[in-house]
This record gives sequence, C-alpha cells and structure tokens, in this order.
Amino acid sequence: MSGVYEASKPRINASMLPQFASRPVCFIGRVEKVHPTGKSFTLTDGEGKNASVELNDPLEEELSGIVEVLGMVSNKGTIMAAAYHVFREEKGISFDLELYNEALKVINDFPQFYPFK
Amino acid sequence: MAVQLSEGAIEGLIKGKEVTNPVLQLINIRKLDSGNGPVRFRLMMSDGLYTMSSFMLATPLNSLAEQNLVAPNCVCLLKKSVTNVLKDGRTVVIILDLEVIKPADQVPGKIGDPTPYVEGQSKPPQSAPAPAAPAPRLLQPQNSGSMNRGSARDFGKKPMTAPSTPGGTSKVVPIASLNPYQSKWTIRARVTNKSAIRTWSNSRGDGKLFSIEIVDESGEIRVTGFNQEVDKFYSLIEQGKVYYFSKGTLKIANKQFSSLKNDYEMTLNGESTIIPCDDNHDVPMVQCDFVSIADLDSREKDAILDVIGVCKSVEDVTRITTKNSREVSKRNIQLMDMSGKIIQVTMWGNEAETFDGTGQPILAIKGARLSDFGGRSLSTLYSSTLMINPDIPEAYKLRGWYDKEGHALDGQSMTEMRGGGGGGPTNWKTLADVKNEHLGHGDKADYFTCIGTIVYMRKENCLYQACPSKDCNKKVVDQQNGMFRCEKCDKEFPDFKYRLMLSANIADFGDNQWVTCFQDSAETILGQKSDYIGQLKDSNEASFDEVFQHANFSTFVFRNRVKLETYNDESRIKVTVVEAKPVDHKEYCKRLIMNIRKHAAH
Repeated sequence: MSGVYEASKPRINASMLPQFASRPVCFIGRVEKVHPTGKSFTLTDGEGKNASVELNDPLEEELSGIVEVLGMVSNKGTIMAAAYHVFREEKGISFDLELYNEALKVINDFPQFYPFK
Repeated sequence: MAVQLSEGAIEGLIKGKEVTNPVLQLINIRKLDSGNGPVRFRLMMSDGLYTMSSFMLATPLNSLAEQNLVAPNCVCLLKKSVTNVLKDGRTVVIILDLEVIKPADQVPGKIGDPTPYVEGQSKPPQSAPAPAAPAPRLLQPQNSGSMNRGSARDFGKKPMTAPSTPGGTSKVVPIASLNPYQSKWTIRARVTNKSAIRTWSNSRGDGKLFSIEIVDESGEIRVTGFNQEVDKFYSLIEQGKVYYFSKGTLKIANKQFSSLKNDYEMTLNGESTIIPCDDNHDVPMVQCDFVSIADLDSREKDAILDVIGVCKSVEDVTRITTKNSREVSKRNIQLMDMSGKIIQVTMWGNEAETFDGTGQPILAIKGARLSDFGGRSLSTLYSSTLMINPDIPEAYKLRGWYDKEGHALDGQSMTEMRGGGGGGPTNWKTLADVKNEHLGHGDKADYFTCIGTIVYMRKENCLYQACPSKDCNKKVVDQQNGMFRCEKCDKEFPDFKYRLMLSANIADFGDNQWVTCFQDSAETILGQKSDYIGQLKDSNEASFDEVFQHANFSTFVFRNRVKLETYNDESRIKVTVVEAKPVDHKEYCKRLIMNIRKHAAH
C-alpha cells in the first residue's frame, strides 16, 4: 500500500474503476453511507454512480460531504484507501462534483494532452 | 305566382347583413364598357319590396348576361355576394354566384310593386345613404379587384359569425384583405401591443394619440387613435385580448414608425367600433420574425426587428436626461441566442424600471431598433413588445439549449463594452491573443477580459496626493507650507487624499503584459483601501511592503481597455484595467471545458 503515495494517481470516476484494477487512483465523491463497522463507506461521483471504499482501520470521525480518497483499486472494483481527505465547504463555496466529473471526462478523452495514466 | 321573392333581402344586403341565398328578380341589366377594363354588367334587382340598381355582376359571370340567360324579369338565387361600401358611402353588391331559378320568358313581369330603396327610410342611417340613382363611376376596376381578393381568401371554411353590434355588421375578414378601397368590413384580431398615450403640441395645436398592434392568422396591422378615439377606446383595449374592429380608415403605412408587415395602417375615426370578443382561441398570439443575433451584423442600422434570447445579465437602472431635458430611466441587458452571440439591449422608461431578469429568463422583443452604437446594439421603442418567457416554441427551444449547453458558453458580444459598466458580456482573450490580434491598433480602443496573475508591481509612485473635494481626483501641488493646491478646483486645501495608480505586470500561461490599475482595481488587487496604504507608506514601510508581497501572484479576472498611444513619436500599447475581479473558479472551469470541447470538435 505504500506505493500509492509515490505513484501517479489518475483521477477517475466510478465508471472508470474497472479499467484501473490494481492501480493507484484518486477518487472524489459525496459520502453516501458509512458501514456500521466504520471500515468501509460508499461515495457517489458526479454522475450519481457509486464506488465503495475500504479502509484498513475503522474511521475515527464522522464522515460526510465531499471526500477525496487515494487508494488502490481492487479486482472487485472497490478502492482500498490509503488516505482520505474531507473537503470542508468553506466560505460557502461548495465543491461542484458534476463539474469535476466533466473535467475527468476531458482528461480521459484526451490522454495525449493529459498523460496521467 | 309560383316564385316567392325574399322580401327585405335588399335592405339586408345593403347593410351588410348575412342574407342567405336570397331570391331576387332582375328588373334591368345594363352593359358598361369601361374603356380598357373588362365589360361589366350592372343590374337592378327587386326583392318584391324594394329595388336597388347597385348590383354588379362579377366578371366570371358575364357569360350569363352575354348569353341572355340573365335577362329582365328572370328570378335569381344569389348564392354568393359581397357588399362593398365605397369611400363616398355608396353601397355596391357584387354578385359572385347566382342561379337563374326561373328564366325571363317564364315570368310574366315585375313581381309585386317594389319601390327604389333609399337607405334611411325605414331605419336610422348607419352611414351615408346609398343613392338609388345610377352612378357610372361605380365601375372602377378596383372594385372588382378588391372583391376578388376578398373572395379568394374566402373564410367560408371557418364560419365566423358576424358580431351583432351596431356598425359592425359586416362579415369578418382577414387583416391581409384590408385595403383603402373597401370600408365595410370587420376584423377579429388580438392586440399584441398597446402604446401609452402620447401627446403633442405644435403650432397647429395639440392633441394626443395612442396606437396598438393587432394580429390575426392572416397578418398584422397597426391601429392609431387620436383625441376622441383615445378617450373612447384607450381604456377599453387590453393587450393580449381579442376584439372585433370595424370601420377604420386605411392608409399607406408609414414605415418609419412601424415595423409591421403590412402595407397599410389603420386610423380610428368617429365611426370605428372596437368590441371585445370572448371566443378567441384560434386567434394567434404575437407574430414574430426572429432574427438571429449573429445576423444583426449584416442588418441596416435603424432596422426594426424581432429578437429572442436568454437574458444573460442585467445591469442596474440608471436615470439619464434626454436632449429635451426629460429625465428617463434606462437599463441595459445582455441577450444571447443559439448563435452564441450576445447583444446589448437598452430598455427605457417603465420597462427599464420594472424589468426583472432573475433566473435568466427568455426575452422576446418584437420591434426593437438596431443601432450601430458600440458595434451593434438594440434599443426598445414605444412600439416594441417585450415578452418574458413567452409561450412559443422558439422560447422552449432556446431554454432547452441554454440549460443544456448555452449557459457554459462565453458568447461573443456584438456590442463593444463601454468603460466603467458593470458585468456585461466578455471578450475573452489570452495575453498572447491581445498581441497577435493587434488589439488596440484601430481607431477606437478595444476591450478584452483575461485571467491574469500579478507577477510584479511598481510600489514606487503607486500613490499620489489628490484633491480632497468630492468627485475631484486631480493631483494636488504641495505648496510646501502645509497647504495643497488643486488647479482644477482653483483652491488650496490643508489636506489631500491618497489615490492609487498602480503599474503592474500580469501574466497568463502564454505571455505577460504591463497594465495600469486605477483606484478601484488597484484596491481590489492590493486588498486594502488607498488611504490605509498611504498611511502605511508614511508610517510603516514594512507593513506597506507586506501589502504588496501579499498581493503578488494573486490571480484575477481583468477587464481591460487597450489602445495604441503615441508619445514623442513613440507608439506603445497601453493597457488600462477597467475592472479586476476575483476568479470565479466554477465559471472559469466551465469555460475551459467548453473551449476544450469546442476545439476538439474542429
């Protein structure tokens, strides 16, 4: 799991997960639900599709809002999180997931200009 | 006597009432040679009660007379006729179709004892009396022309009941068939625009007038009422409602005042009637012929045209004083349509005050005037009709387009932005574009907007001592005696105020540019008021430097004016910041994504 920090982590949405199996990625989504064990949670991306995130250690805080996860995509298509970061809605500026998703599509559509893979 | 004539039919025909298939006896027929026009037949008919000699046979029926099928004493069934009232008040009934139900040789003679019909003998007169005496001038060819037009646009398929109203008893005809040569008609039309009452006063006296625009399925026409007609009709008429109109005076339209697609316009007179019509579902709403905003470039200045667009942004109302020292409200808005172009529309008076642009509504304007002010712009007129979110297909199409993709589009403005104005359309450029496209090299200054990051500021001389009086920002001269002199105000003051004139170098990914920022934009960039900065400069140099340090490498949206200026034979591009705003990252992202998609599509 240590490789996640050093490797490049392409930004993807839920529908791109299968293409990135066993590769490190960066995923941003809205917290949908947290498993009672605190060891996994579900994120919804800008297209409304879900991705499940699995943690090594149970969560120590209540998770809500927009979260960015760095992790490895498992063969099942879940994200094995190495780290996460909560985006606080500061100064009334909210993160626009849909717009972010549009940007992801641009990156994905033009790999010649965004050689992040 | 086997045949029964339709007693009273002649009076009905003269009054323009609907008389269905009357049976009349022909008393006399006369052939009229009208020089170059076709031969016409004039008939005297009897309904048993009255005779009337102003019947004309439509030319296609001439053969009936030529073959002597229509001969004195024969009894005819009038299947179709049109009653025309000539300008001088005489009435002519044009027979469009008739059937001889009893040939002349089977009728012994005149049926009954009819007398010549004189209008007014049985009922109070409605219009000038129709003389019974023959009048050869009746045979003006225009009569047949207008009659034919009337029948060609036959409205028979949609039976319209004539309104049972005084003076408006003639058939409902389409607006398109109106002409100055026919005066007996009724139209059924929707009022699409109603002006305010305007007054005039000149050497010949004074008066007032108002005008409306009305539309039916055949076309549109402008109607004007003066003085008494203002009193009589103005309060009755409501925009959007349907009315029966009759007995207006038609004349050639003055295109200077009207954009309607009609060669004629109507003036209301003392005999005109306007009667509300309740059953109005089939009468169309406003007729518009929308011009794409992108096409406005190729239209003549002062053209009156219709546009529809999304109201992208709205400026505040301002009050200005016109040349004849009248104060009037004015408001500018930016309209964008599917061409991706934006145009500035100026509204005036009440419309400017009441306009609500919240939620970026669709705005349709009928009859706006195109101006070449600042490139291309539009202005509403008294006669313009403004419709917010109108219930028409164009509006729904535009709404769909805008919500889906249009909102993220920059839109290129057809109107050059004037300095100082608030948020308007933007002419986005990169700094490299500004140089490559030689912006500012023309006769007039160019305006552009860019995203730029401050990379350097000249702290030295960024402040000057200005006249402390309100609205005067002239630099003062230090008299070295504690007094400061303003040349403009011609006064000395014991103090001054600090104002900013900041030279900064801004950069984007491709290039950089020296720009000058005055008071407001400099305060935005530095994040402090000029008097505070001045205070720091005089008292605390470290803090003063910190202000600049803090502002370095901050990014803004700059709206700039660019112009080539020449000093001492040396020409250089001078860029002045009109406005500096914090970057709206969401907006910026949308624009970038849109541009990427646009480039990819080519």
